[in-house]
Amino acid sequence: MRQGYVIIGFWVVLLIAAGFIVKASLMEEQVLNNRGIIEQHATNALPVEEGVFKLSHNAKEFLELFKHGVTSNKNLVSYRERRAFPGAPPTIPHPTEEAHSMGGNDCLQCHQNGGYVDKFKAYTPITPHPEFINCKQCHVPVKSTVAFKLNNWKKPMAPDTKQQALLGSPPIIPHSLEMRSNCLACHAGPSAPVEIKVSHPDRVNCRQCHALNDNSKNTTKIWTR
Amino acid sequence: MMNRRNFLKKAAAASAMAAAATMIPGILFASDQVDEKLSGNISWTKAPCRFCGVGCGILVGTQNGKAVAVKGDPNSSVNKGLLCVKGYHQIMCTSSADRLTKPLVKKNGKYVETSMEEALDFVASKMKETIEKHGKDSVAMYTSGQSTIPEGYVASKFMKGAIGTNNLDCNARLCMASAVAGFLTTFGADEPMGCYEDIEHANVFVLWGNNMAEMHPVLFSRMLDNRLTRKNVKIIDLATRTTRTSKAADKSILFTPQGDLAIANAICYEIINSGWANQSFIEKHTVFSKGKTNIGYGTEDKFAFKDQAEPIDFEQYKTFLEDYRPDKVEALTGVSAKDIKYLASLYGDPNLKVVSYWCMGMNQHTRGTWINNLVYNIHLLTGKISQPGNGPFSLTGQPSACGTAREVGTFTHKLPKGVVTNKENRELAAKIWKVPYENIPDKPTYHATEMFRAVDRGDIKFIWTQVTNPLVSLPKTSRYRPAMEKESCFVVVSDVFPTPTSDVADVILPAAWHVEKSGMYGNSERRTQYWDQMVEAPGEAMPDAWMTIEIAKRMGYGDLFPYSKENHHEEIYNEYRQFHVGKKHNMAPLEVLKKESGAIWPYIEETGKSTQWRFNSKYDPACNQEKEFDFYGKPNGKAIIWQRPYEPAPEMPDNEYPFWLNTGRVIEHWHTGSMTRRIPVLHQAVPNAYVELHPDDAKQMGIRNKENVKVISRRGTTVLPASINERGMPTKGQVFVPFFDESMMINDVTLDAFCPISKEPDYKKCAVRIEKA
Repeated sequence: MRQGYVIIGFWVVLLIAAGFIVKASLMEEQVLNNRGIIEQHATNALPVEEGVFKLSHNAKEFLELFKHGVTSNKNLVSYRERRAFPGAPPTIPHPTEEAHSMGGNDCLQCHQNGGYVDKFKAYTPITPHPEFINCKQCHVPVKSTVAFKLNNWKKPMAPDTKQQALLGSPPIIPHSLEMRSNCLACHAGPSAPVEIKVSHPDRVNCRQCHALNDNSKNTTKIWTR
Repeated sequence: MMNRRNFLKKAAAASAMAAAATMIPGILFASDQVDEKLSGNISWTKAPCRFCGVGCGILVGTQNGKAVAVKGDPNSSVNKGLLCVKGYHQIMCTSSADRLTKPLVKKNGKYVETSMEEALDFVASKMKETIEKHGKDSVAMYTSGQSTIPEGYVASKFMKGAIGTNNLDCNARLCMASAVAGFLTTFGADEPMGCYEDIEHANVFVLWGNNMAEMHPVLFSRMLDNRLTRKNVKIIDLATRTTRTSKAADKSILFTPQGDLAIANAICYEIINSGWANQSFIEKHTVFSKGKTNIGYGTEDKFAFKDQAEPIDFEQYKTFLEDYRPDKVEALTGVSAKDIKYLASLYGDPNLKVVSYWCMGMNQHTRGTWINNLVYNIHLLTGKISQPGNGPFSLTGQPSACGTAREVGTFTHKLPKGVVTNKENRELAAKIWKVPYENIPDKPTYHATEMFRAVDRGDIKFIWTQVTNPLVSLPKTSRYRPAMEKESCFVVVSDVFPTPTSDVADVILPAAWHVEKSGMYGNSERRTQYWDQMVEAPGEAMPDAWMTIEIAKRMGYGDLFPYSKENHHEEIYNEYRQFHVGKKHNMAPLEVLKKESGAIWPYIEETGKSTQWRFNSKYDPACNQEKEFDFYGKPNGKAIIWQRPYEPAPEMPDNEYPFWLNTGRVIEHWHTGSMTRRIPVLHQAVPNAYVELHPDDAKQMGIRNKENVKVISRRGTTVLPASINERGMPTKGQVFVPFFDESMMINDVTLDAFCPISKEPDYKKCAVRIEKA
C-alpha cells in the first residue's frame, strides 16, 4: 500500500516536472524567436532575463561549497585587472593554444561548468554565456607587454559593489545584464571573487531582491500621464 | 539542509518566477526606485561601431566629458547587444599619447606646429597655386569608406562641383569596387537586396572565401546562435585557408586560389543538369549575356578596358557550361566533383533557403566582377533571391563603404546619384550643388591604384588623403611610398594618429575621432545610422568634413558651402537626401535616424518602414506590383545571368616563386592598425604580423614556429616570424600574412594587378618565395 503511494507520487512528480520542462522550453523558444525577428522599434532584443536561473540546478552544491569554505584566492583586484573598464570582456590570463577550434571543443571544456585545475592551482571561472561559442570574438590572450605607443587611458572606477538604498536593504545590481544575466556564474561557486560571492546561492531567484541599476538608460526624463 | 521536496518546491517557484518575468516584463525590476547617484554618473549614447561594415550598435558611456566604456546596444537589431573585442575597446585609442592635436607643417625638412588657421591657409593656397599652374586635374583627393556621409559628400561637391575635376577616389576601391561592379552589371542597382534578418530564416550559409568568425564576428555569432536553436541550419566554408570559420562550419571545402570561378560555373552546370533550375523564374526575371574575355590585369600604367555585353540565349549558356562539368574542373579547383555536387544540391533543393556570404575573397580578385556575377547566377538560376533567408549577400569591410563610398559616390566615376558619364546625373548634381552644369567633367580620371601611379609619374602634383593610410594599405607600396616621397607632389594628410602616410606629408591636419564629431555611417544591409558628438576632440583636431569646407571657403567657394560649424552634418545630410528622393533609394529623415538604431533604405515615409528585401514586390513598393519580382535597376526589370569563364591569375607560382601569397586581417586589428594597435588590449593580443605556412611546407624547408622568414616577391621583401599550426592554416603551397603591421610591410610584396572592370586590386594572389631570414 505504502509502496503504491510512493510509486504514484513518483509519477505525479515526474508529470509535474515534465510540465515545467515543456513550458520552459516553449518559453525559451519564444524568447529566442523574439530575439531574431523584430526589425523596427525592437526593444530589449537581447533579453536579459534569459540566464537568470541557468545554473540553479547547482545551487545546492554552491551552498555546500560555501558552507565548507571551499574557495579559491580569486578577488576583485585580479578580476578588474583583466578588464579595460568595468563591463569590458576580460582578457585570457593563461596560455592558450592558438588552435583553430571553437568554444565547444575548446574553452568551454573548462569554462562551462568550472572545476579545479591543478596546473593553474585555481578554480575555473564559469562563463555566464556558454551559448556564445566564438569565445575569442571578445576574449583575447595577452601575448606581449610591450606597448605600441604610450596610452593615457585611465581605467574608470568600478561601481561600488555594496550599493544599498537603505541600511540593510539588498544591494542593487551595479552592472548591465547583457550576457551577464546568469548571476550564479560569477557570484557563486569556488571561482567567484570573494568580495562578490553570495552567501545564499540556494535562493536562486536573485532578482527577487536585487534590482538592476546600471544606469544603462538615461533616466533624466520624468514619465507623465 | 534542503531536502528533495524543498528543492522541487524551489524549482517550481523558480519556473513560476521565470514565467512571470517573461510575461510581465519590468515588474520585477523597479530600477527607477533606486537613487540614480548610486551608480555614478555615466550616460550612455548610441552610435554605430567605428570599425567594420557590419555596423553594430554601440552604447558609449561618458563621464565628466570623457568616454569611459562601451557596450553593445541591445536595441540595435544588427547585433542585439553583442560586440567583438575591437568594438568593446574602441574608445581607448583616443587617449593614445601620440594623438595628433595640432597641425604640423614641414618647413626645411622639419615638422613645425602651427595654428589650424595657418595650416588651412597654407593648404588652400598650395592647392590654388597648383591648379593655376598645372590645371584642375593636377590636384586629387583620396578619401575613405570610413569617412562619414557628410565627409564624403562635401569632398565630392568640392572636387567635382566646385573645382571641376573627377580626381576623387577612395580606399573603398580596394575593398568594395568589385561588389559594386557585380551589382551594377547583374542588377543595374548597387547593394544587397536582402538584410541581416536573412540569418534567422536561412537553412544553409555558404561562405565564399570569407573568414566570418574573425572578420564579421557578430554576424557569425548570430549564425551560430541560429544553428544552435533552429533545426536544419548548416554552415559551409568554401575557402583557400583553414580558419576559425572552417572549424566552426559543418563542412569546410578548400580550393586552389582562383578556382572559385570554375567552382561557381560547375555549380551552375550541376543545377541545370540535375533539373534544379527554376525555369519560370529564369524566363520571367532574367536574360543571358556574355562579355569580353582575356581582359588583362591592369599591371601596366594607364591600362584601359571597357566591357561589352552581348546577349546570348539559355542554350548557348548551357553549351558554355559544358566545360565546367564538376569532374572536369577537379584539377583546376582542387575540389572533388562530389563536393561540388553537394554544394549544387544545397543551392538546388527547393526546400532549403540559402544565403551566400562573401567579402574580400571575391572582391579582391583580378576577376572580382566576374566571380560576383557568377554567384548571382547561382541564385538567379534557382530563384533563391530577394526573399527572407534566400539571397546572395555581399558583406562590406568598412563601416561606411556603403553609406559613403557607394551611396554618396566618392569614386572618380560616381556622383551622389549615378555616374559622371550620364548627362541627367550631372544635371541633377549641378542643380542640387548650385554649380554650372559644365563644371562637372563627364569623364572619370584616376581610380585608386592609377591615382598613385599618377603621383609617381608626376601627373598629380597635390594630393589630400582623409581617414585612410594608403602607404600601408595600397598594393605594391614598394612603388607608391617612394612616389609619395617625391618633391613633385605636395601631400596633405588628415588623420587622428601619425601613420606611415603622414610620415611623407608636407602638411598633417589633426582630425577628430568617431565620437568626437557627429555623423552618419551606412552598413552592409543598407542601414543608415546616426550618432551625436559625445566628447570634445583634443587640441585643434577637427572633423574632416569641416576641414574640407574650410579649404573650399579659402579657395573662394564659400557660397557653395554655407553650412554652420555646429550643425554642418545635419545641413549636409538634408541636402544630400535630395539626391535619393524616390521609391528606389529614399533615405530616412534625420529625426528617424536620431531616434532609431538606423533605418534601411529605401525608407518608406508613409509607413515609417525600412525595405528589408528589395526587388520583391511583397516587400518593396518600388517594384512593379503586377510582378512578383522586379529587378528595376535594369530598364526591362530583368537581371542578367552572365557567361563568365575561368581565367588564370596574373601571377601564378612557378619554380622561382613557388608559393601563393594571401593577405588579410585578424579579428583584433582593423586594417592598417593605426587605431587598434594603439589599444593596449588588442596590441597585446596580436603584437605583430606573421606568416602562416602549411606544416608540411614548413617541415620541408626546416622552418620552425616563430622563426623569422623572408617573404620575397618580384616587388619586394619583408621579414616576419613563421606561424605554423596556429590561428589559420593555408593550403599547401600557399602562405598567409595579415597586413596590419607597418613594421612588417607585406604590401611591399603584393602585386598591383586589378579587376579590369571594377579596378579593384587582388591582395589574395601573387607569387612569392620563402627563405629563412
